[in-house]
Amino acid sequence: MSMDNFGLYKLMHEDAPKNNNPLLEQPTLAKTHTTDPIVTGTSVLAIKFNGGVAIAADTLASYGSMARFRDIERLKSFGKYTIVGASGEYSDFQYIEEQVKQSLIDRDYQLDDGRSTTPREIYQYLVRVLYNRRNKFDPLYNVLVIAGYENGKAFLGQTDYLGTHFEDVTLATGYGSYIAQPILRKFYSEKNGNITEQEAKDILKKCLTVLFYRDARAADKVQIAVINDQGPKIDEPIKLETQWTFKGF
Amino acid sequence: MSLSFLDKSYNAFHDDQSFEEANSNTLTLYKEPGLVVPPTFNNAGFRDQSHEIAKKFAKGTTTLGFVFNKGIVIAVDSRASMGNYISSQNVKKVIEINPYLLGTMAGGAADCQFWERYLGMQCRLYELRNKRRITVSAASKLLVNIMYSYKGYGLSMGTMVAGWDHTGPNLFMVDNDGTRLKGNRFSVGSGSMFAYGVLDSGYRPDLTEEQACELGRRAIYHATHRDSMSGGIINVYLIREDGWHKISSTDMDHLHWNYVEDKKKEIADRNKL
Amino acid sequence: MTTHISPQMASSGTQHGKFEPYVNNGGTTLAIPGKDFVIAAGDTRLSTGYSIHTRQSSKVFQLTDKCVIVTAGMQSDASTLHKTMHARLVHYEHAHGKQMSTEAIGQMLSNMLYGRRFFPYYTFNLVAGIDSKGQGVVYGYDAIGSYQSVEVGAMGTGQSLIQPLLDNQVAYKNHQLVPSKELDLERALSLVKDSFTSAGERDIYTGDSVEIAIITQEGIKYETLQLKQD
Repeated sequence: MSMDNFGLYKLMHEDAPKNNNPLLEQPTLAKTHTTDPIVTGTSVLAIKFNGGVAIAADTLASYGSMARFRDIERLKSFGKYTIVGASGEYSDFQYIEEQVKQSLIDRDYQLDDGRSTTPREIYQYLVRVLYNRRNKFDPLYNVLVIAGYENGKAFLGQTDYLGTHFEDVTLATGYGSYIAQPILRKFYSEKNGNITEQEAKDILKKCLTVLFYRDARAADKVQIAVINDQGPKIDEPIKLETQWTFKGF
Repeated sequence: MSLSFLDKSYNAFHDDQSFEEANSNTLTLYKEPGLVVPPTFNNAGFRDQSHEIAKKFAKGTTTLGFVFNKGIVIAVDSRASMGNYISSQNVKKVIEINPYLLGTMAGGAADCQFWERYLGMQCRLYELRNKRRITVSAASKLLVNIMYSYKGYGLSMGTMVAGWDHTGPNLFMVDNDGTRLKGNRFSVGSGSMFAYGVLDSGYRPDLTEEQACELGRRAIYHATHRDSMSGGIINVYLIREDGWHKISSTDMDHLHWNYVEDKKKEIADRNKL
Repeated sequence: MTTHISPQMASSGTQHGKFEPYVNNGGTTLAIPGKDFVIAAGDTRLSTGYSIHTRQSSKVFQLTDKCVIVTAGMQSDASTLHKTMHARLVHYEHAHGKQMSTEAIGQMLSNMLYGRRFFPYYTFNLVAGIDSKGQGVVYGYDAIGSYQSVEVGAMGTGQSLIQPLLDNQVAYKNHQLVPSKELDLERALSLVKDSFTSAGERDIYTGDSVEIAIITQEGIKYETLQLKQD
């Protein structure tokens, strides 16, 4: 390692797996597994609306308590019908974007039947990738939200680094699961699922603002994306409007 | 010879088949069915990282077996516990390997059940290949060889292999350390010391079949009474020249009150004298 | 080094150091066999720690026309197991021109679980089906493949609340006088519903709704029971 400003090399090698069984070969230190997320993204939020799904995240990648990278994208389009949002280790998400996304694009191209991989297929594929990595004790430290719209149907699913996966009408990862998810669930049930695109974007924006107030790893620079019959559309980052005059602050 | 369902070729469409291929530093020790070994496996570590789950394997038992002039008695309890929770009160701890061979279950329920099922298969293959029944000695040795090949992997098994072959009644005790002992009296499990107390004081080679079965039953009963990890139903088997017979299956509670009654009568009779 | 980790990661014990590959996602499953029927049920709550991930995650998986599996424990292991079993059963059907018998499925699962003896599937399974004699049968398993046919089976976080009561009410355990009346489908179904309503009241991991599979010679019917919304 040519540069190690943060002493990461030592940190990573202290946790090298130790093998006490004399019957097994001692593994070398050449390969070390991620035992901790280092550069992390916080919550991802998403909600279904009439004719699509809205998904949102801020643009911050933290290094511990430090706001290390303030302008990164945690929402990426995967093919024609899908957007994937990631919280957790950012490098692992970059790996997923590069390797997994590319393999899906390659497959669509090679089959050349005009069909694209559907959101549910991408979701299941990512579940298997994350689950197989946990089986190797070398997890991809992410919680992924997969939002899609294909063949007139909205899709919204989540998977984490253990392979735990599920679908729902509203989703929120990380701190968002405590702070934003109740707001989203309440909104969804009050509207009886009858939500317009604008309403969906507005409620996500409101949730991101609440998260910015209370999640110390959240930022006020956010991206809101929508996937509908027009395909994925990830907006440029916007600045959240905040109000700090409230006495409680 | 390995089981087709655990074969590598079969695993071709098993979604996590690549464990052993992907990790060249996993072991290549001779094992019977190719069990998946995780990349970071070590025995101590396994129990550490999944202590929660380790607790959830069924455990705790009293089993016994003894040889007498007429044959062999096998008696067992039927309780399985996972930590503090009693997961079953009617476990079959006598595994019927074939009409002439019995195995008992103490330690990990799955380890005993799986490997004795596998042993049953090997014994049948022996019959087909050799046109004669396998001896108890050979059968128990097949089992102990497997146990020895897995030594250090954390298998948990204390079993008795009992049966009648051309040499007569035979009783062996096999455990996960790779121990294999031939003997006339064994008791295995958390309640074994209670059972041994009764068994040793009541044992004689010239017991009748009824007396022998009752001795086995009573020994297990006392173990279920004093060992909290043992309990439930008491199953008694008798092995004769014509193979094994299931003699009885009694709730220990019924036995308890019967024995209490017997004792009352005994005292009353003695006072009359 | 203190790094921020998401609450979901924190609650499953991923602090500095060793990776914990297991998580208990909670939930309760139940199965009762009868003379010519069998009922299998599982609640639909999916949690990690104090967080409810979703209220509509199924624990019931149909294996054949007369056999289902219900699984409590870790969700990702459970769904992997269900998928692998499904693949094996499709393969069997293509190879043999018929569906696998419930008895064979029972032993196949035992072997599959034991195949992962040194890195277990964190799953607690009940296989419920109609056997080759046309009778209802339920097999109960531990995580590494020990199994036995049971008179009534409950698994998961609500097991200790439900099992002892149903031992008494279904298997007639610990009765001085054993009732001679045979368990019929109607009573079994009502016991299943009452069991989940009660477990939902006392177990934080059991709730939302219950998916019930009723298997008879005619096929499998599904029912949903809504539990209290807390």
